[in-house]
Amino acid sequence: MEMLRNIARRKLRSVLTISGIVIGILALTTMGAIAENFNALLDGGVQYYSSNVQVGPPDGQSASLLPISKIDEIKQVQGVAAAFPGYGFLAKPGSVSTVSFGLPDEIIAGDPAENDWGQLKLSTAQGHYLTGTAGEVVLGDTISKEFKKKVGDTIDLPVKPSDAKPDFVNHPFSVVGILNVTRTAPDTFAYINVTDGQMLLKDSLPIAIRSQIDTSQITEAIDVYGPRGSSLSQLDALADRINAQITGVKAIRPSVIVNSFKSGGAIFTAITTAAALLALIIGGLSVVNTMFMAVAERVREIGLKKAVGATTRNIMGEFLLEATFIGALGGVIGYGIGVLITVIANGTTPPGQSTLFLITVRLTALSLGFAIALGAVAGILPAWRAARLDPVTALRNE
Amino acid sequence: MAAIRLEELRKHYKRGSEVIRALDGVTLDIEKGEFVAVVGRSGSGKTTMLDLVGLLLRPTSGRLFIDDVDTAKLSDSDRAHMRALKVGFVFQEYNLLPGLNVLENVMLPLRYVKKTEDGRAHAMELLERVDLTDRVRHRPSELSGGQQQRVAIARSMINRPSLILLDEPTGAVDTETADQLVALLKRLNKEDQVTIIVVTHDLDVAGQARRNIRLKDGKVMTDQRVEAGVSVA
Repeated sequence: MEMLRNIARRKLRSVLTISGIVIGILALTTMGAIAENFNALLDGGVQYYSSNVQVGPPDGQSASLLPISKIDEIKQVQGVAAAFPGYGFLAKPGSVSTVSFGLPDEIIAGDPAENDWGQLKLSTAQGHYLTGTAGEVVLGDTISKEFKKKVGDTIDLPVKPSDAKPDFVNHPFSVVGILNVTRTAPDTFAYINVTDGQMLLKDSLPIAIRSQIDTSQITEAIDVYGPRGSSLSQLDALADRINAQITGVKAIRPSVIVNSFKSGGAIFTAITTAAALLALIIGGLSVVNTMFMAVAERVREIGLKKAVGATTRNIMGEFLLEATFIGALGGVIGYGIGVLITVIANGTTPPGQSTLFLITVRLTALSLGFAIALGAVAGILPAWRAARLDPVTALRNE
Repeated sequence: MAAIRLEELRKHYKRGSEVIRALDGVTLDIEKGEFVAVVGRSGSGKTTMLDLVGLLLRPTSGRLFIDDVDTAKLSDSDRAHMRALKVGFVFQEYNLLPGLNVLENVMLPLRYVKKTEDGRAHAMELLERVDLTDRVRHRPSELSGGQQQRVAIARSMINRPSLILLDEPTGAVDTETADQLVALLKRLNKEDQVTIIVVTHDLDVAGQARRNIRLKDGKVMTDQRVEAGVSVA
């Protein structure tokens, strides 16, 4: 109680000091929430790409097409446990791309069995996953909200653009499942079966060659899996073996992709660190200043407390506690305002667009822990000065 | 052995090349329950002696015993502990904490000791003895000088010390209030057998003590019993 009264005794100064911390922690919380959101997106990529080897056409080939027979060839390579064809299409062809922290809507065609192999497991919030039956679609959380679809509804894919040419083709798909939120790529994806993917591939070919190509014998990419639990270096070695033994394909070392994701995350981590440093400088200096002034104003009080039995440690503890409380109070307020801003901003994000902020337990602990530590660290020097005051001098201070 | 024994106690300060002999070889015995007034001109060493006996200062040389404990051997935290348990302080300027109410000010020293008794009840009892039960929730700024000094006296008693040190306790109050404060001190001295050492310029206060010690230039000039002082029951 005495601590609260001491803080309340100089209201304006306390408010200004706490405001400094509030601003710092607010910056840390909001910037951190953006970073956490982006890192969650990247973590999904890291999870997905660190569990398989991506095989595509060799460098220099203009079309991203491979004979599906390459899957059987690849399966003969030592260390290959499974290989699946993969197809990807824009769900909203012709839509204008805008700068966004999310990924564009995509249609992904693949073998439902592949979901058992990757680290990024897809689970459904409603309905069920693909069964292999033609005409099924499982929608990610974001795309399902964008088109207001639920299990049992039908969706035409790809979505017809408003300025579509007369020869634009799309097909009705029955929604059999809605995925749980992943905060990464699958949220904006529509998953369909391989045969449907081959159908969409055919639709995407120029009319002049469409009838000449049997898309059931073509894949856009091949996802190759090693034995379950394979490490990144083992998968790199697997990619090297595929490149050495299989002609007409290029296997990308998963570590290359994973590292590119991680370097993207490092930029946002740097932003968070910069916000934290800002908080440190603004908040920390204001706490130091306030506590030094508090010590100067309360010299006689310190002398009296020493006279009635307070030890150096007692005095230091009291001032440190006060500084820590200021830090904690500023932290709670700054974090609260930050969370409010992120909730409002996420709540006003149009359906179908990825939200910008993600508040995590880690970020909460960081923001509040940082504020408390900031107050405590900033209070050390003033508290030390208070604790070292000579009681005789302090008692007779004018 | 006496409750308090000073043996050749010295406190010297250096001011540039000059040595200030604030206290210069004082030897004294003060018995338990004595009411002692220390008088002398400004700079005579009164307050320095009080600070040494109150363990706020360490002597340059000599020894100080409180209840047979050689205080020179105590660490800073042990000295703080002894201050909390055995010594009560009352200052001219009261030194009450403005953020605390009367009861909280009286209970302040309890923070720094481990005691099992009900501190709040004892504080209330002390406030009753100093006739301030109707001011328990008041802040120091809402009290008169005399009332504030009575709070300070109650605070000095909260840990049941064997020694109370008062530095010019009547220096900031009028004569009538000063008389009331001295009467209160005499009553506490008599009822609790607590040793009281009061540093004062006020001859009326000194006259109420049972023993007057006059200092000059850091030395004891006279040390005499006052027959007209507090009557011993």
